[in-house]
Amino acid sequence: MNSVNVGQRNPLSRRTFLRSAGAALALPLLDAMRPAFAKDGDAKVPRRMVAVETNMGILPNYFFPEGAGADYKPSPYLEKLADFRKEMTVFSGTSHPGVTGGHQADRCFLTGTPHPERGGFKNWVSLDQYAAEHIGSETRFPSLTLLMSAEEGFSLSFTRSGAMIPAEKSPSKLFKKLFAQGKADEVDARVESIRQGRSMLDFVADQSRRLQRDLSTNDRERLDQYFTSVRDLEKRMQRSEEWEHKPKPKVTAEPPQDLDDSKMFVEKSRLMFDMVKLALETDSSRLITFYIDTTVIHNITHHGNRPETLAELRAVEERQLAALKDFLISLRGTKEDGQTLLDRTMVLYGSAMGSANSHSNTNLPVLLAGGGFKHGKHLAFDKDNNYPLANLYVSMLQRMGIETDKFSTATGTMRGFELA
Amino acid sequence: MSIYFPASRCPSLLRSFLLLTAFGATATFSSDYAPKPFFEKHCGDCHDAGTKEGGLDLMSLKTDLANPQVFATWVKIHDRIRAGEMPPPKEQRPPATESEKLISWLRDSLIQSDLERQKTQGRTTLRRLTRAEYENTVRDLLALPGIPLQSLLPADGSTHGFDKHSDALDMSHVQIAKYAEAADEALDMAIAVQPQAPSVYKKRLSMAGTYIVDHILMNGDAVLLKDKKPDPNFLPSGSHKHIGQGEHEKAGVFSEDSTVGMFRHDDESFQPMFAKFAVVYPGRYRIRASLWSFFWNKGEVLPAKETGAARLSAVKLRGNGHGSSEGSRVLNYFDAPSMDSKIHEFETWLNYKECIGFNTASLVPITNYNRKGHAMAFEGPGIASDWLEIEGPINDVWPPESHRRLFGELPLQKLEKDSKIRPPQRVAPRQEIGHSVNKADVWQGTWTVISEKPLDDARRLLAQFLTRAFRHPVDESVLQTYLDQVKKHIDAGECFETAMRWTYRAALCSPDFLYRVEKAGPLDENALAARLSYFLWNSAPDADLLEKAAAGTLRKEFKAQTERLLKDKRSDRFVEDFLGQWLSLHKIASTDPDRKLYPEFNPYLQDSMRDETLATFRELLDKNLDAVQLVRSNFCMLNQKLAEHYKIPGVVGTVMRRVELPPDSPRGGFLTQAALLKITANGTVTSPVVRGAFITSRILGNPIPPPPADVPAIEPDVRGAHTIREQLDLHRSKKVCASCHAKFDPAGFALESFDVIGGWRERYRSTEIGDPVDRKGIDPNINIRYKWGPPVDSKGQLPDGRAFDGIRGLKDLLASKPAVLLRNLTEQLVVYSTGREPTFADRDEIERIVKAVQEKGGGVRTLIHELVSSPIFQSK
Repeated sequence: MNSVNVGQRNPLSRRTFLRSAGAALALPLLDAMRPAFAKDGDAKVPRRMVAVETNMGILPNYFFPEGAGADYKPSPYLEKLADFRKEMTVFSGTSHPGVTGGHQADRCFLTGTPHPERGGFKNWVSLDQYAAEHIGSETRFPSLTLLMSAEEGFSLSFTRSGAMIPAEKSPSKLFKKLFAQGKADEVDARVESIRQGRSMLDFVADQSRRLQRDLSTNDRERLDQYFTSVRDLEKRMQRSEEWEHKPKPKVTAEPPQDLDDSKMFVEKSRLMFDMVKLALETDSSRLITFYIDTTVIHNITHHGNRPETLAELRAVEERQLAALKDFLISLRGTKEDGQTLLDRTMVLYGSAMGSANSHSNTNLPVLLAGGGFKHGKHLAFDKDNNYPLANLYVSMLQRMGIETDKFSTATGTMRGFELA
Repeated sequence: MSIYFPASRCPSLLRSFLLLTAFGATATFSSDYAPKPFFEKHCGDCHDAGTKEGGLDLMSLKTDLANPQVFATWVKIHDRIRAGEMPPPKEQRPPATESEKLISWLRDSLIQSDLERQKTQGRTTLRRLTRAEYENTVRDLLALPGIPLQSLLPADGSTHGFDKHSDALDMSHVQIAKYAEAADEALDMAIAVQPQAPSVYKKRLSMAGTYIVDHILMNGDAVLLKDKKPDPNFLPSGSHKHIGQGEHEKAGVFSEDSTVGMFRHDDESFQPMFAKFAVVYPGRYRIRASLWSFFWNKGEVLPAKETGAARLSAVKLRGNGHGSSEGSRVLNYFDAPSMDSKIHEFETWLNYKECIGFNTASLVPITNYNRKGHAMAFEGPGIASDWLEIEGPINDVWPPESHRRLFGELPLQKLEKDSKIRPPQRVAPRQEIGHSVNKADVWQGTWTVISEKPLDDARRLLAQFLTRAFRHPVDESVLQTYLDQVKKHIDAGECFETAMRWTYRAALCSPDFLYRVEKAGPLDENALAARLSYFLWNSAPDADLLEKAAAGTLRKEFKAQTERLLKDKRSDRFVEDFLGQWLSLHKIASTDPDRKLYPEFNPYLQDSMRDETLATFRELLDKNLDAVQLVRSNFCMLNQKLAEHYKIPGVVGTVMRRVELPPDSPRGGFLTQAALLKITANGTVTSPVVRGAFITSRILGNPIPPPPADVPAIEPDVRGAHTIREQLDLHRSKKVCASCHAKFDPAGFALESFDVIGGWRERYRSTEIGDPVDRKGIDPNINIRYKWGPPVDSKGQLPDGRAFDGIRGLKDLLASKPAVLLRNLTEQLVVYSTGREPTFADRDEIERIVKAVQEKGGGVRTLIHELVSSPIFQSK
């Protein structure tokens, strides 16, 4: 009886191959890096985004407020965020059209791709990766894909080919990637390892060109995906090689200690939120996704309306919202060019599940704080005929200076949601 | 296109005109028949541009059959007309001759077009290795049978239920980076870096003397035993005041020969293990363990009421071993007979930093930790471990086989510091786990393979390796590109190992390795060998298959080879992977049953469930039993745990064995296996919809269309007021729902007799309203907090009108159509083995297979043979 096996390293592995000539692709999990010497003197206000999904829904009765517009009456959960009433907008009656499949919709929160439960499903590019194509090159890490979970395999970010970008779930490893400089010989070893990796990529790209010649057209398309992937990686490695020569930012914060206990998932989320704040503050990246996997409470989300289970779930969700609140406080407490970090950071928080009890994917709980919008309202849309959530994403893209009126299933920008 | 075609009517004026444009002149449909009059007369009122019922406008449908979407739409039209579902039954029926003409024209055109595509493109499209295939392939290629690689790679997608489908196997830059990492992992483990094998560690370990176990010994969750009695040197906790744990440890009472009798099941804060040994050198280890069970009566050791079970697992430690572990995998469950030490011996692969974990698998979670009187106040079962012996790593040869696959017989030599060639960088292995007594061997400096004629050796080694890795002989020109790289690196001053390693790594990241290349038409023998081995072993062909393919004799002895593969242990990978996906067995742990409602659930039960399903399929396969046994069977594969769960007496021990069932048993067949019943429930409640849909799509082969977007899902309410069935009846009273739900709910109703963990029930469990539970026959240590709610109603009616009363009735109805079951199994196996769902042109061949298998007795093994000898399997 074999149960799930957990990955591991051989004692010889890491350093051995870093230094050996058959060296590794020492590419950080955090996706690629921007060119080290991007154009300077660009005085544009940096716009940032943090997108957070919690995968077991949020109890609708305690989340959605009463009344629409600026005079809405806050729900019990929104009471907890009362300090930010003027700096956030709550949405109701929105969802992604065609996105169904209960838990399987989690991967569509930032992509809006219909019917993840069907055979042949292929995801679209996620909001952060779309934005990274435009503004990713301005920071060391074009994007950060993060996860709080006891498991692997969850992520909010997807490439244009629909492949999931594996998420970093260890705050301490993330800290190291962001800030640990490494000694000169380590840097040399990394650079050498990247070069070896690039030469190998050249070689296998040639092999795929040779193979292409004998294939039928459909097969050629499949193999072309391989070729493109190799080229993508090559470009990313080239950029990371450039960045190796630039010093990483210095922070006074102590490296975090990872927590293991899956029951401490709120504390684990808090730890990751602290890292997100550091990454934003040091401008290491402007596009961050954070998947909060709360499978540990999956049972009680099927509360079946039992009062004691509902109470238990509510207590847990309130602790999650308190963690969000403290994250927002930390962004508001950090200044940059006379503005707060929150003013320049859109914090999207929500779930692709409307009601976990019934696994529905409509009427999603969503709020957006900060980032330079006219906030303070409850934008209420039709509960029976939902408004496309991707319209909010178009508004966010435009806020980041990306000129587009299309993304996923959007029909335009979010109605009633204006730039500040 | 939606399949919802309600039957309202609406006149149209434009249809004749549109029909003309749609079927003006098309090269794709055969032109010996004109469908216009038929569509106009029988379909046009609903399916025209104006009404477009179900989103289908027959009058302006595209006719380019090369377009997969257009093709699929026409297949659907063909199927619905042929099944008599369209025009809808209450409309006027077209004369049979007219329908037949249309159907036959459509059918011919579709087959024609499908075959045309297959001729140039093949049935299936280029596939890369799945994660499981990748791991097995590397394991077999490098003779590293236990290296974990799957977890390094991003998850694959799933199409038509399987990750083996070409569409599920995308590539991205992330994927490529991970392949490079996995290749390094494998090469690091494969290459010998010292002149001798690591010295073999062989020692008997006790669990006593490790911190956590000593701690519970102090607190009464375990006791020390000697000669089947309390150890006089360390009396049970509660009998007198102990001195501190540290003093006891110093005094040596937790000695190596102490038997530990344990009452506590493992939990989040308690993971007992034989922590004095943790692996430094990954490899093969021999393990022996002495286990027994007893009944503890407040200080007295009595015979156990039944044979107990202990679980041994490989626990992966983190850091220096003091924090929590990184995870674990079950090695096996072992019998612990009453008062009778049984010695179990087995060999297993262990990885770096793994140590052997222990669990009192058959016991109910209890703790005496805070109980007044501790162990002396406790009465209940215990599992005892006398000792555990570890021996390894076992290397029959040195350098090991993994190294020989890369460097043959070339000698290893020490590189001195003044050597002119650049040595490979090494890090000496260390014991990082603080509390482990086994240590790493003394490091003897940098040793590496030496070649007198590097380019000759490289040619020989690479020709061999690339043939195995690419699953066919390599062309001279390809070999040369690899040799050029060896030369380049050697010229740059690298040592032979480093230069070779570069090419091995590149080969493992190359498209020739990662993709299974096949050419349109009948497969050549190499490709056929690969198809067979990836089907039945989930891995690359072995030397034997490759030889047969190279000699061109594989097809001639295909049946014998298929038998050889099925008889080999590696075919367990097929059973596991196929069932893992077909029946979602991989997801058995994805929900935890509610502890209040199902306090009797534990990991041992879950692992036994999974093993039952695997063992049953294995039994069907090995004994070539009729596929009807998928739904109705007079035996079960059970161990003691599962037999108790099913209330079947007389099964003792942890081993799965075949048990004949009494004639009135509700069990037998897959539908009533606890694994499937758990997978189709959410841990709290069951839904006939989910279970019915599961049976309909996975067992009967009718895919379920997704629900219309505007219908809300059922909000479960388990407060006892309504049963799910009552709620469903409300839901089904809506016409739009009922038409579809009638197709798949019924099977689910019969399964209402089974709860979320597959136990038989006559009433639902409830946490609020209901009658108290009679504790009789329930382990007194299980805390019962649920009540008996409303009674279960398991009656129903199949879509064809046949009514059934409960599960046995349903099984009889399903078993009466063996061809349906066989056809579905064939189709599932087609996707799994060829990476493509059955296409239109496959239909006749699938019918032929079904018929042939039925004529030969309907056996599952016969089906495998028929499938692999079919053109569906044997051509691209």
